[in-house]
Amino acid sequence: MSIAEMLANLEDEAVMAEVKKQISDGVEPMKIFEACQEGMNIVGKKFQDGEYFVSDLMMSSAIFKDVSDVIKPLLGTEGEATIGKVVLGTVEGDIHDIGKDLVHAMLSAGNFEVIDVGIDAPVDSFVNALKENPDAKVLALSCLLTTCYDSLKATVEAVKEAGLTDVKIIIGGGPVDQSVVDFSGADTYGETAQDAVFIAKELM
Amino acid sequence: MKTNKIFDDHLVKAKDTIAFKNNKPMSCFSGSAVPPTYMDITLADYIFDTDKGFQYFIEFVNKINDEAPIDCMNFGYPGMLPIGTILTWWSKVKIPGRELDENALWQVEEKMTMTESDYDILLNEGFDSLFAKIVPQVGDMADIQTFIKYHMESDVKEAQGYIDNGYPVLCSGAVVPPFETLCGARSMSQFFMDCYKFPEKVKEAQDIMLNKMKDDLTNQQFPEFVIGNWVGGWRGASALVAPKIWDKLVWPYMLELSKILIEKGITPILHLDQSWDRDIERFLELPEKKCILNTDGMTDLRKARKVLGEHVAFMGDVPAQMLATSKPEAVSDYVKRLLDDIGVKGVFVTPGCDAPANSKYENLVALHKTASEYN
Repeated sequence: MSIAEMLANLEDEAVMAEVKKQISDGVEPMKIFEACQEGMNIVGKKFQDGEYFVSDLMMSSAIFKDVSDVIKPLLGTEGEATIGKVVLGTVEGDIHDIGKDLVHAMLSAGNFEVIDVGIDAPVDSFVNALKENPDAKVLALSCLLTTCYDSLKATVEAVKEAGLTDVKIIIGGGPVDQSVVDFSGADTYGETAQDAVFIAKELM
Repeated sequence: MKTNKIFDDHLVKAKDTIAFKNNKPMSCFSGSAVPPTYMDITLADYIFDTDKGFQYFIEFVNKINDEAPIDCMNFGYPGMLPIGTILTWWSKVKIPGRELDENALWQVEEKMTMTESDYDILLNEGFDSLFAKIVPQVGDMADIQTFIKYHMESDVKEAQGYIDNGYPVLCSGAVVPPFETLCGARSMSQFFMDCYKFPEKVKEAQDIMLNKMKDDLTNQQFPEFVIGNWVGGWRGASALVAPKIWDKLVWPYMLELSKILIEKGITPILHLDQSWDRDIERFLELPEKKCILNTDGMTDLRKARKVLGEHVAFMGDVPAQMLATSKPEAVSDYVKRLLDDIGVKGVFVTPGCDAPANSKYENLVALHKTASEYN
């Protein structure tokens, strides 16, 4: 069974053992890493098809992170190439991190560089992160509390007022849908962590 | 307890609704954190100054009731609720007026408190040993003592207050399955990993917790005013958990706890956050016409009605975001369409999960008005 298949089957110990074996066998680290990414793509497809659920995404993300920690130091400058940069955080007043962390993991697995400003993040932290990373094309805001819709809106407005009009803003979280997009002025929303990857790719 | 005609009529209607003998939907209030938004009290005082908070709560519900009839409540005044959450979730909770602004909603802090080796405490020394280790790490024991004292002194008094105002309160407490408590103690991310890496050990731990809960429930003398209890389904939702985990570690526990409540004459209100569509037919395993599914707008009640027929009553499910951001016409339309599609029998119309603190007042009125006037 290939590394991609093992990862797609969530066989954590088998994946790690095979990765270490291939490294010691002299297989090119980038090829191993790409196999892991292929595994994550299969997981994403299974999630999209309703075969996998959030816990499966979390498990696959954990496996991917563990193997990435082993492989990435071996990649050198080759490993620094990503398909884009996303600024991510949970809005001010909201301390939930599970959804944000899962989006972070899925974006990383999708080969995005993620600038994570954390939870309960003030408006300025998002604006500053975008200014410090002018190549970031997407801002992803997480919000689990309906009482923090005003924070969502304030963040969107602050980004626009700062002149960062090229940045596309996606929102997500349990109580987020099109009505919250309309309320906040964001560009779109994702229902799942996997959606965040698809949307970010479209927006790049 | 001394009742009155309005309360008695509402109680009969509620029981008829659970048994699918009703001809109109129940207009059911659920918005425990809303009153301070529209009244001269901070959320912190509302929660912790319990005599005052209770009065404000009743006053708020009565105000809506004056404009749109309310038949019952899902649950009542949330006195000291953040402290209760610490006890059931084994997690730290950030509290308004302490760690948070005095009007900010309390929030569970998602951090791992229970270590992997703590499973062995549960397995080798039992539930009480682990409880004694974890709970003092996440909560102030003085708060917990105050919480217990408050309930011992106030539950009957508050129950009489609901009765005097004509409102049966369907849920008087929460039964939190082991899966949910361990999620809180281990953190959701870590606990989900545990369920993949050593499911048998998790099951063994959960069985010990279940046995403790069974003993406690069996020996508990429920006061006469208790109608139902929540059986929580938060992190165990079908949308969140893989089938092999759900089948082994979620559903059997919810089912067993529900059956014990029914044996005690208490109605299980299965409080289901997120989508449970994948496993909806499993609810046919519950005893017929004895339970309520309390959903939040993410479970498809139309599909559920087709699959479950008149097996369990529904309580739901106007989405929280709609109550916070939409117009009353949209809320009214949502309720009408829901009732058009699933019928009125066995239906309690209420906000999904709980109306958010920033619900628009006029949206709550629209919800109850539409439910009470629906023909």
